[in-house]
Amino acid sequence: MNYVVAMKQVPDLQQLRIRDKKPVLTDIPLEFGKIDKNALECAVSLKEACGGEVIIAAVGSGELTETIKDGLACGADRATMIADDGVDALQSADVAVLLVRLIKELDDVGLIFFAEGSADNYSGQVGSRVAQLLGYPQVGFACDVRMEGDRAVVTRALEGSFEEVEVDLPAVVIVASDLNKPRLPTVIQILKAGKKPQEVTDLAAVGHEASELTVCVENLAPDTDRKKQELAGSTELLAVLKENGIIDK
Amino acid sequence: MDFNLTTEEQLIQKVAKEYSETVIAPLAEQIHATNDVPEEVFQGMRELGFFGINAPEEFGGGGGNYLSFLLAIYELSKSSAGVGMIMSVNNFCHCLIAALGDDEQKATYLPKIIAGEEIASFAFTEASTGSDPKQLTCLATLDGDDYVLNGSKRFITNASFPGPMILVAKEESTGRATAFIIDKFAEGYSLSEPWEKIGVHGGPLYDVYFKDFRVPAKNIMGGLGGGMLILKAAMVYAKVGVCGISLGVATAAYEEALAFAKDKTHRGEPIVKKFEHIRFTLIEMEMKLLAAKWAVYHYAWSLDNNSDLFQLAKEAAMAKAAVTEAGVDIVNQAMSIIGSYGVVTDYKISRLWGDIIIGPQVEGSASTLKAMAASILLM
Repeated sequence: MNYVVAMKQVPDLQQLRIRDKKPVLTDIPLEFGKIDKNALECAVSLKEACGGEVIIAAVGSGELTETIKDGLACGADRATMIADDGVDALQSADVAVLLVRLIKELDDVGLIFFAEGSADNYSGQVGSRVAQLLGYPQVGFACDVRMEGDRAVVTRALEGSFEEVEVDLPAVVIVASDLNKPRLPTVIQILKAGKKPQEVTDLAAVGHEASELTVCVENLAPDTDRKKQELAGSTELLAVLKENGIIDK
Repeated sequence: MDFNLTTEEQLIQKVAKEYSETVIAPLAEQIHATNDVPEEVFQGMRELGFFGINAPEEFGGGGGNYLSFLLAIYELSKSSAGVGMIMSVNNFCHCLIAALGDDEQKATYLPKIIAGEEIASFAFTEASTGSDPKQLTCLATLDGDDYVLNGSKRFITNASFPGPMILVAKEESTGRATAFIIDKFAEGYSLSEPWEKIGVHGGPLYDVYFKDFRVPAKNIMGGLGGGMLILKAAMVYAKVGVCGISLGVATAAYEEALAFAKDKTHRGEPIVKKFEHIRFTLIEMEMKLLAAKWAVYHYAWSLDNNSDLFQLAKEAAMAKAAVTEAGVDIVNQAMSIIGSYGVVTDYKISRLWGDIIIGPQVEGSASTLKAMAASILLM
């Protein structure tokens, strides 16, 4: 049984600059989001315990053929992707359709992992859309996944409690960020990542027509000005810190 | 001309940065205070393959380039110059053995130092000489199939870690400098107390004493009388690590100064906004960092793409002198921004100052390196 991990390349948020309250995306390197790495780590751990292959399915701009090396270095065995600069204009619904096309080409798929949201627009839609299109069950907010026979047992982190569910395969699992702590790839894994198998296609080859279900009106960064509050003393300082949730209430 | 790093180089740098920030940085003050690197740091470095980034794959290395090694040591040294120094010396030793060792020497010594299971040392300097092979007094005397070593070596990094040492001694019958690979801690090997350095703590520095220390004649590297060649090759390979350390420390100092200037206020306004001379100083620091970075990046690139030992030695000498001297300027400027807080040990900048000041003085002082580079100028 194989594990598919859907990964999205996003701008490296640590290098993002804000100008006139808007993010400047020019020349910002792309990388996979942190929660995507959690999903990949989960799949790699299951593969190590139960066998099978880990396959990355990704849809992104042309740079994806380079970004994918990060995922391959972190333990994936191979990748299938649509790498095309036209992808940047696509919406979550389109990306879900394209991912389904990629996944349908794969054999013996057991679990398909998604992050609960991407690091850039965090729409959180694609995993559920893929499950719907494939007709597979989906389990969200996963904080632990293990295999028991031909079923997966998933622990879901809810507000103030945990829920354990069993799910028939194949299934879509949408993971939360506290699922695990991804291992760093070794130097040898990094240097050999580019030699792993990759299937690359583009939008023209798949003949997809973009939908226009939603329109992004504006994308603004939050204000981060200093508050410049003058405080009378330590008692007031403690009160303000507690009030703002900086120290325990 | 493409100034972009490859994806692999970027990933190696990213992993080193994360390891440096999450594992080494929290231990940096402890390393500085105890002059000792905890085993957990080494263990992580072994697991991630940091000791063998640019070493041959057939001996367990990554098969990467010198620039990848440079990027990694730069990131690690931003947190601890001592960790960088241990890695630097081990690295140029495996580069030397891979380049100039025979098949048996490679098979015997490379796998363990590339994996970081053992840590290698290089021993040339003596009390009376730092770079002149004609003044060596440590004597190697042939006795049957072995040489017997007697004498001492000064300021030897990594001498307290088990593993091989590349040692250059005077071969008695010819009087010529000859390099041997010896096993540290064999009978006849002893250490001084560690030298109390003003910086680069964690990278231990010792004098080493040899008394009737036996080493098989087959452990000669580079041939009888080939010590000068080994020294020149060491000159070529060793400086990239030291450059990476100085660049890392200088960058850390710049970041400290920038953060301080943004945080420290004068009449309610951060000093970086209020005073032009603070901004001016920060930009000067960044200019020097930029120049130093490209000098050492090009040197690392040359190691992978050029093969003329003399020209490589010249570039290594120039890069090392330029980067370490620029590093001192940058940290001094950081000190000038941080002011009186910089001279108390509670602030990180004082540690960085101790680390950077060592750079121009070790592994060939800046003036010695300029003299060596100048001698090649006329060749």
